[in-house]
Amino acid sequence: MSASKKLTKKDITMLGLRSSFLQASFNYERMQAGGWLLAQLPALEKIYADDKEGLSLAMTDNLEFINTHPNLVGFLMGLLISLEENGEDRSLIKGLKLALFGPIAGIGDAIFWFTFLPIIAGISCSFASQGLIIGPIIFVGAYLTIWVLRIVWTHMGYRLGTKSFEMLQENSDIIANSATILGITVIGALIASYVNINLLPVISVAGGIEVSIQEAFLDTIFPKLLPLGYTLLMFYLLKKKQVSPVILIIGTIVLAIVCSFIGLL
Amino acid sequence: MQITLMQGLMLAIAAIIIGVDYWLEALFIFRPLVVSTVTGIILGNVQLGLATGALTELAFAGLTPAGGTQPPNPVLAGFMSTTIAYTAGVSAETALGLCLPFSFLMQYVILFFYSSFSFFMAGADKAAEEGNVAKIRRINITTTLIVALSYGVIVFACTYLAQEPMANFVTSMPAWLIHGLEVAGGILPAIGFGMLLRVMMKAKYIPFFIAGFLMMNFIPMNNLLPVAMLGTAFALFDFFNAKARRTAIEEAIANNSGSTGGNKNVGI
Repeated sequence: MSASKKLTKKDITMLGLRSSFLQASFNYERMQAGGWLLAQLPALEKIYADDKEGLSLAMTDNLEFINTHPNLVGFLMGLLISLEENGEDRSLIKGLKLALFGPIAGIGDAIFWFTFLPIIAGISCSFASQGLIIGPIIFVGAYLTIWVLRIVWTHMGYRLGTKSFEMLQENSDIIANSATILGITVIGALIASYVNINLLPVISVAGGIEVSIQEAFLDTIFPKLLPLGYTLLMFYLLKKKQVSPVILIIGTIVLAIVCSFIGLL
Repeated sequence: MQITLMQGLMLAIAAIIIGVDYWLEALFIFRPLVVSTVTGIILGNVQLGLATGALTELAFAGLTPAGGTQPPNPVLAGFMSTTIAYTAGVSAETALGLCLPFSFLMQYVILFFYSSFSFFMAGADKAAEEGNVAKIRRINITTTLIVALSYGVIVFACTYLAQEPMANFVTSMPAWLIHGLEVAGGILPAIGFGMLLRVMMKAKYIPFFIAGFLMMNFIPMNNLLPVAMLGTAFALFDFFNAKARRTAIEEAIANNSGSTGGNKNVGI
């Protein structure tokens, strides 16, 4: 086992691009294992060029259960490929993989699904709902950038090697916390701008004048009070009562139709 | 409005590309905002695509596959909300309500694939043992192709083939039902945001939630960028504070123990 470098910069870039195949054969038994192996095959073939047994062992190991975040997986791939290249012990590579895929999934979900998506979607949709095509263009541009960044993460993981393990463990909670603060701020704003509930009933006062409950009372005292209340109710039912979102969707539609029928909404 | 065969085929091709992207979660062109816009372009009504896309996107904001759960399908929601608004001539809100059954349908198709693709893993194990690179590649291509074709066929059936019964069904609905669906379309994003809050919300985040809500509620703004900037300011403030606190703790520990021998494994 020589420790000489077998992989070029281009190989690592290709590894980052191929990390897009992570979920190619996603299934409940091994989750992303098939795509995880597929993405690394050219690099592994190069490392174990004349070592058929080594290749088969590496392939078998990399076909074990893995479930991590597609946007950040390149980092883990780069890190582990650098260990493969150095001829490190198989159990070390396996151990690091098992230790890291979970935390990376956690950071990825916090950043990409719960922070980045609401913000980019919120901004893009506020343009799109005004009929501006720039909305979807911003959206696609932002995610294209995220996609290209895979290459950067992969090089980073490869260069840092085991050092990145420590760094990730030390800072993951701080990063996730800050990302959540940003996400929560935007979600507060999204509720105010995109949930709409308007009461229709009017009250007849003396002299035949009609006053709309929505406009005269709610909108002057606290606009968007009903959307906030309903969202918090959904939050409560999801969190404390573990109601399935599908039930809530169907329930909301039924409620809306009933309220429409009786003229409340 | 009628969807022509040509448009139906173009929608099917778009569905194959977008479906694969959702399967891989690579480029994120599978989000309803993009899917609806593409559908609008194919149907020759971009404005309709933008309006239905913006609404559907936000309703699906919290319905993410994070943590390995398969949400209602955003691809079908994007295709169908625009298609229904186009063929039946209903508002974007009503179309959002009507696209949901299709979204659920595709969710279950994907769940079926997740289960059944487990059978491919035995073959993959054998290939790995033999060091058979080509076979691993073949298995991954096969599964992805199955998904791609399903999207093509299902979207073609739902948009082109089913358009007439769909339009007839919608036009035969009474006014209160159409209006009810429209109302539902305005409320549905609440569930998406509720889903996000379920994962993210802790008592310590309440101040930021209130700040974001109040800012949007009382300061007239055309888009969300200023709120995102405010949120970034909060996030940075917290990040630097947390860093400073950690450094202070580490220094205190270092001063106390004198010669440090243990590992500095800082937990959560």
